[in-house]
Formats: sequence, C-alpha cells, structure tokens
Amino acid sequence: MLSKNKTGWLLLSPTILILGLAGLLPFIYVLYVGFFQWNPLAVDPSLQFEGFASNYRRLIFDEVFLESIWRSIKFSVVTLTIELSLGFVLALSLLSSFPLKSFFRSVHTLPLVIAPIVVGSIFKLFTVQGLGPLPHILKDYFGYTLNYGLNADQAFWMIVIMDVWHWTPFVTLTLLAGLSALPQDPYESAKIDGANNFQIFTYITIPMMVPVLIVVIFIRLMDSLKIVDEVWMLTGGGPGYATRFTGIHIWKEVFEKRYYGLGSAMSILYLYITIVICWVLYSVMVARGKNEE
Amino acid sequence: MRKILFALVASIFSFSAMAGGHADWFKEAGAPYKGTVLQGVAENTPPGQFAGEVLAKEFEKLTGIKVQLENTSWDQMYDKAIKDMEANSGIYDFVYIEQDIVYDYLNRDFLVNITEGLANNPDLQAPGVSLDDFTTFIDYFKDGSGDVFGVPMEAFIKVYLYRKDLFERADAKAQFRAQYGYGLTPATSFDQYRDNAEFFTHFCAAEGMECWGTTVQGHTGHPASTYEFLESIAPSFGLYNWGVNMDSYQSCVENGGQLNGGRAKAALNFWTQLLPFAPPEALQSTWSEVGSSFAAGRAAQGWVYGENAAWIATDAEKSAVVGNVGVMLPPTAPGVMTQAASGNGYIGYYDGGAYGIPHSSKNKEATMLWLQYVALNEHQADWAIAGGRITHKDTYADPKVMAVDEQADGYFTLMRDTGFLYAGAPPFPFHGAGRGAIDPFIYSALAGEMTPEEALDGACQALDTVMADLGYQN
Amino acid sequence: MLFVGFYTVSWSQGEKMKSKKTFSKIGTTFLWSILTIITLFPIYWMVLVSTRTPVELFGKPDLSPTFFQKVHWKNFTKPFLDGIYADYLFNSIIVATSNAALVTILALMATYALSRFKLPGSESIFFWTMTNRMAPPAAFLLPLFLLFSTVFKFGDFTLFDTKIGLILLYCVFNLPFAIWLLKGIIDGIPKELDEAMIVDGANLFTIFRKLIIPLAAPGIAVTSLLSFLFAWNEYLLASTLTSVYARTIPTGLSEFVTTTGTNWGTMAAVALVSMLPALLFLFAVQKHIVAGLTFGAVKG
Repeated sequence: MLSKNKTGWLLLSPTILILGLAGLLPFIYVLYVGFFQWNPLAVDPSLQFEGFASNYRRLIFDEVFLESIWRSIKFSVVTLTIELSLGFVLALSLLSSFPLKSFFRSVHTLPLVIAPIVVGSIFKLFTVQGLGPLPHILKDYFGYTLNYGLNADQAFWMIVIMDVWHWTPFVTLTLLAGLSALPQDPYESAKIDGANNFQIFTYITIPMMVPVLIVVIFIRLMDSLKIVDEVWMLTGGGPGYATRFTGIHIWKEVFEKRYYGLGSAMSILYLYITIVICWVLYSVMVARGKNEE
Repeated sequence: MRKILFALVASIFSFSAMAGGHADWFKEAGAPYKGTVLQGVAENTPPGQFAGEVLAKEFEKLTGIKVQLENTSWDQMYDKAIKDMEANSGIYDFVYIEQDIVYDYLNRDFLVNITEGLANNPDLQAPGVSLDDFTTFIDYFKDGSGDVFGVPMEAFIKVYLYRKDLFERADAKAQFRAQYGYGLTPATSFDQYRDNAEFFTHFCAAEGMECWGTTVQGHTGHPASTYEFLESIAPSFGLYNWGVNMDSYQSCVENGGQLNGGRAKAALNFWTQLLPFAPPEALQSTWSEVGSSFAAGRAAQGWVYGENAAWIATDAEKSAVVGNVGVMLPPTAPGVMTQAASGNGYIGYYDGGAYGIPHSSKNKEATMLWLQYVALNEHQADWAIAGGRITHKDTYADPKVMAVDEQADGYFTLMRDTGFLYAGAPPFPFHGAGRGAIDPFIYSALAGEMTPEEALDGACQALDTVMADLGYQN
Repeated sequence: MLFVGFYTVSWSQGEKMKSKKTFSKIGTTFLWSILTIITLFPIYWMVLVSTRTPVELFGKPDLSPTFFQKVHWKNFTKPFLDGIYADYLFNSIIVATSNAALVTILALMATYALSRFKLPGSESIFFWTMTNRMAPPAAFLLPLFLLFSTVFKFGDFTLFDTKIGLILLYCVFNLPFAIWLLKGIIDGIPKELDEAMIVDGANLFTIFRKLIIPLAAPGIAVTSLLSFLFAWNEYLLASTLTSVYARTIPTGLSEFVTTTGTNWGTMAAVALVSMLPALLFLFAVQKHIVAGLTFGAVKG
C-alpha cells in the first residue's frame, strides 16, 4: 500500500491538475499581460512594456475604476446586510410550525435555481418602463415614478432588490441548516435560568451562529463582489456610472475598448482586494475552529 | 407577414430554380469540398437568419458543403470574431463585418482579399456574380486600391419614421396650428421636430392614448445611445466623424477637433431636450426597443433604423401601426444637405454588414463559393422582403420588392434615391475603443447628471486619451 | 468534534424551539404570504409574457391570467421544435449532470485527502482553491479562449465548442465550493471509523463506498445540486467558449436581443423551459438540503 501522504496527494491530484490548468494558468497569463500595454486596435497591436507596473500606477489614479470598487463594496455590504437579516428572520420562523410551511418554503427556494441571466431578464421584463407592470402599479397606486434609466438611486436599489430576491433563499437555507444543527443543551439551561426569548437569542443563538454567519458572508461576498450577468441584462451599468460595478467596468474596458493590458491589471488588483477581504474572514473562521478543538 | 412566410416557404421548395442557371456550376465547383463544414459568426438579424435558414440549406443541398451560422448578440459577435482572428485559431470560416468595425479589421489585416483571391483562382469565380452588381455600399469594404474584403449581405439607412394616422388627424392639425401658428407636418427642421414632439406628447395625454412625441434611442448603459448621437443626430447638425480632426486625431476644440464645439453641443442639447417628449422607456432603449416602441404605437415620430422600417410597416403580428407608417429623410441643419450631396458630409448612418473571410480560416476556397452564392442576384429579392435589406442595384426594380416598398411608404425607393447622402462610420481603426470612451459621458448627459456641455468636454478628453494611448496622435 | 448524528438532527428538535418562537403563527404566515407573492409575481409575469404575441405585450400591462383562454404556442414551438433550442437544452443537460457528477467525485476524493492526511500546506491548498472562484471573469476569458482554441490541441481536436471543455472548466468554479461543503461533513465523520475498517483490511474504495458516501449523503446531495445549478446557469464562459455544437440554454437567451426588437415572448418561453430541469433536481434533493448545507461551521 502507498504511504499515507502519497495516497493523500493522489486523491488530491485530479483537483489540483484541473485547477492548475484551467485556474492557475489563466491567472498567470492575466498577471503577465497586466504588466504590458496591449490593445489589438492600437497602431502597434503587440504587447508593449512601458515600465514596470505602468498599468498599476495608472490605476491608482483612475477615479472611475476606484469608484467602481467602492461601489461594488458598498453594494456587497448593503445586500449582505439585508440578506442576512431577512434570511435570519426567515430561518428562525421556519423552525416553528405554521400553516402551509412546506409550500412557502418550496416557493422560497425557487429563485435559487434560476440563472443570473434569466433573473436579469425576469426583472427587466417586470420593471422596464413601457412593458413591465411594476412601473404602472407604482404610478397608479402610489404615484411613484420608477425609471431606473434616469434615476441613479433607483437603478442601484433595483439591483439590490434583484440580488436580495435571488439570493436570500440561499442565506435562509444555510442559516436554517446551521440553526437545526445547534446543540440543545445551552437552550435548556437558559430556560431553567429563566432567560427570556430576546436574551436567549442575543446570548445563545447569535454567538453560536457566528461561524455559520461568517461562512455565509464569505460565500455571498465572493459572488456579489463580481456580479456581472444580472446587471448587464438590467441596466448595462447605467445610468451613467450608477451601477457600473467593478465586474462591469472591467468588462467594458476589455470587451468594448479592448484594453487587454489595463483590464488584466484591473482584474489582478481587484482579485487581490477580494482575496484580502476573504482571507481576513477565512482566518477568523480557522482561528475559531482551532479554539474550539 | 403572410407574404414573407410564403416567400420563405416558396424559396425553400424551389431552390434549384432560385439559384437560376447557376445551380450546375455551384454543384460542380463545390464537389471537391463536399462534406466541408463552414462555420460563421454573425449578429442575429433577420437577414442573417435568412442566410442561415434558407440560403445555407440550399447551398448545402447543391454542393454538400454545410454552412453553420452562429447567430448571436451584437457584442458577443464582435468579441468572438476578434478573438478568433487575433489568436489565429481558425474557428470561423466567415465572419460578419459590421460596417463600423471594418477599418479595425482591415488595419489588422484580419481579412482575406476577395478580389485577389478570385483573380488568382479563376476556377472559383462563379458565373453570374459580379462585384459590380452591388450598390455603393460595397465601397465600405474595399481597401485603398479598390479590392473587396467583404461581401455585403445587409444594408439600411436610418430614416425618419412618423405616424401618418396621427399627423393626418383633423383635430390634431387644428390644435397644432392654434398653438404654434403654422401647419402640422412631418418635420424638416429641428425646431419643427421639437414642436411636433411636444405637441403630440400633450395631445396623446389629453386623448388618453399611450403615446409620446418622439423616440429617443437613449439607453443610459448601452452604446446604442452613443451611436444614435454620433451617427444620426450629430451629423444632421453638421458634425461629422465624431468631431475628430482626421489629420491630427484630436477631438477637443482646443486641439483642433470639434467634439466639444458649437455644433456638437447644439446637437446634444437638442437631443437631450427631446427626452420629456419621449416614452418613459427611452432611457432604457437600445435599437431593439426603439423599433418595438414605435411598432407599439408609442411614438409619433423618430429616427429609426431602416431594418425596422419594413416590418413595422407590414408585419401585423409584431406591429400595431401597420399601414400608418410614413418614411422620410430626417431633418437636417441648414447647409448639411448640400454638404452631404457634394460628398463633404452626411445626414445619417448607412448601416449594414458584410461577410468576410478571416485569414485564419481553413476552408477559404469553399467559403469563397459560399460568399458568391450569397451574392447571387437571384436571391436578392426574397432576401430583401424577409430582412428589409438591399445590397444589389437591381433589387430595387424587382416587382416583389416594389410591392413591399409601396406598403412601407417607399422606404426602398428612399434608400435607392438618397442612399448617397448617408455614410458609414468614420474610418477609425480604433472604433470600439473610441466609442467606449465617449459612452459614459453620453449616458450621463441623458440621465441629467451632466449638462451637454460638460459631457462633451469630458467626452473629447476621454477620446483624445484613447487616441493618444493607442498611438494614433503621432 | 462534531458527530455525524447532528447532520441528521430531525425536525422534531427544531420543533421544540417552537415554544420560544418570536413570531405568532398569524404573523409568520402573513410574512411568508407577502414573501411568496413577491417571489412569484415576477415569475407569473414571465409566464404571461411567454404566452403572448409581441403585439399583445404593447400598451398597459395586462395582468389577468390570459393563458387560460389563449396561448401563443409559437413562442415555445419555434425555438424548441423548429429551432436549435432543443439541442441547447440537451447540451445543458449533458454538461450540467456530467459536471455535477465529476465535481462530486473529485471533491469527495480531495476532501478526504484534506481531512484525513495531514498534508503539508493543506490549509493553503484549500484557500487557494477558493480564490479560483473570486476572479472577475472578463479578463480571464481571453486566456481561457486561447487555452481552449489553440493551446490544448490534440491533432485537430480542441476544447473550444465542446461539451467536455465546459464540463472540465466548470470544475474550476464548482470544486472549491464542493470541497468546502463536503469538508465540514467529512471532518465530522470520526477518523476512528475508517481506521477500524483499515484494520479489517478494507481498501480506500471500500471505505468510500461503505462509510464515507452513506454518511455524507446529505452533503453529497447538496454538493451535486449546487454544482448542477452553477453549470446549468452559467452564461459568460459558455457564451465565449462555445459556438455552435456545445451551446447551452443560457447562452441561447442572448440571441433574442436583436437589432429589430427583443423577442420577449420567445425569450420568456425559453427562460421558463430552462428553469424546469433545475427545478426537478431541486425537488429531488430538497429533503437533504438543510442537513447538507452546514459547511461544518457549527461545531458541537
């Protein structure tokens, strides 16, 4: 029989091979291109070296790019906050019994299976002026004009609503899984000590759920920081820059303007920021895990 | 619509008749390439669908060469074609070249010289196909020495559409005269255009109709809005070539350009001031939605791409204004018409595309046959009816086309007689990058986040940066 | 250490907490009713759109359930019977199921290795796998295109526009997630159990078959569901890396946005049909979801 470590590496090898070839190789390529000026539409369409990190130096002063990062972070924080609070309430409520519970729960999981591009289409169909019912309903019954082609705040919040609609079910289910797996002893002792519901929730449920919350934050953050498909379908990043998240901004630089070099540098820089944020979360997670062992 | 369907069906069943006397030649010439699969990528347009669903099938039956056409969205189409040609991967045997990207492709020497290819291989030269049969639109796909690099498969002009039923209403006419002091007619000047737009917006509201005074292709997150401004509005105000100085590749007034000059600012002011008179979806409208809005009867007048003119006027399954569509040249500033007629300017966009062969194609000879098959005179009339496009001079005179022309208020006739006043995109090899730099400023001007003046000042600087970056400014 | 028993915590334990519930039954039902309406309303509208002709979509949106009277079947028949969308659907099914199967198998192997063998740097390997999911996609499409069309070339065969290419590529995004999901669960299976089996002479394959897979069943179900959903729904990579033969359903949706108007009815019909297989999969594994989604985060 193989030595233990060898067996371990053998089991890991297909994963490492695939991730290396289709994950790491492209990364190295993008990293490399990021050090060059390269636009196939230029007079000289080849890669040109204009000093070390010329793209990165440019990006540090690129207001549009920096603003897009700020916008993406703001978006992620806002959606996370809403999805976590809503998801928590819903998960808690699913622990109790009430009429039609399994029906409600099934409907709630529905958005989970819908492709982001389809979610974008559904929302466009539903909210676009001239075709969708929502602007009409808001206008007729509430006197509110919805036109996110014009109103930057509406556009931003429309994307937030779309993301909440799409991803709250995932948060609910994960938190529900966490809640269902919580040990019962602390609850019973608390009950004996005469704690009220609010105290139990703040002093027992929340602390015990922190690890699950961090996991959910990690996963949602990772995906919402690079949101593209839905936004592309709904607003295209407009009006103006209002929903030009970093993913969209890079998309426009690379696909429309064909700044391959600069766009690659943007990707690397943004990936770096994402990794740093996630690494912090991950370290907290690992540290907690170690403490408890 | 029934007519179109009938034409489609008829053409499928009578393919040998369709290829006229040339079927035998194609059969013979195609024999060596039997079993070859040609792959192409194109934007999903009705003419493209006709090519993929009708012509490709006939061609395959005749020659045994299979043509696979990937119809996809506009931005995908560019991206994939450029990636393929850039990487020399040889995926595509033919690509759709939209008129505005042709200079990028020629500049990079992506495309096979078709004139030369046919001259060197007389065996491949199909009888009955002559590059001289095409309208002047083919000139956009020629290089400096007149060699052809793309076979046109669709061409349109962006026209002024108006609702005849609305403009002819007696009560509307009376009210208009009372309010503005002159008669209500389709617009020939910008002031009149604005008045019409304002009038019909109020008129429709008073009548309880869901309609507005004008379309605006004003998506605030999609390049369609930049295109409407640069291709249609700006030139009709006398601002050509994006205001770029063609000698120095500068676009700001300070450096000898005109993108933030008086004409550009007048044009952008005019255009953004139309927004209150446009349906509320205007700011989320690309070319897709502008056609749909007009077809839904939601606008009294507007600049509309020609590919939409025919179906809006004739297809009752998709259009609510069949029979009520008027077609005219769009309004222009004084002097612009003269400049356009003398070749020193243009009044709007001559829009369309061609099929070209990338150097990376592995089946150039077979593709050469396919492109000539597409160019056969026999196909042109049915294709024109199915897709509203005309690329050959003789097509205008075809009885079937003339019948549709009548229903579409003379769109084809207008294109024949005034096509020379229109022009394709300026010959910039950096088209995509330049437009991408201007986009955000147009979006901001439309959303009211910037004044038109601020927007154009910003746009010209951004465009200058791109032209400097890419090495065009000496 | 967490015991397997927790993953099979029954609902009854949750029910006990019911007595402490913060919401009254009426309040809860009301909240969920509103939520259900919000969830279903846009989808209901999409269903309506899919049954109407373009002309019928004009004007003030008509929210009445007209599909009881008349359905414009052409929206469905045109793409699926006359068009190539049936092929796209088939491609999607192949790609998504194969990818889900492959990812689950590879992730089980990898997770077992990370969990059972103290490999040097296994923590970093784990985090590194996650970073693959974080990259903003746009700039990475170019190298992927080059790899697919010119670099990985075997004779005339390239990965471009092949189903196998997509199946392998989606592993990059699904494996990290799958490993994470399964790691918590496999960590929760006491090591003593496999050691006992090894003493009895069982090989690795038997350990997987008799011990790991049965005990990790909920996690495996959820892993395969989420992998399937991602592969089923992925748009950007598929649209760049396929052309004709391996196109998937989401990439087909962009074809309806044309210069001569977006074909909303057909688009809604295709979107609707594209949701069905994913829904079926969801309902098939629904009962495992809650037990399988813990990511091993709650330590007993």
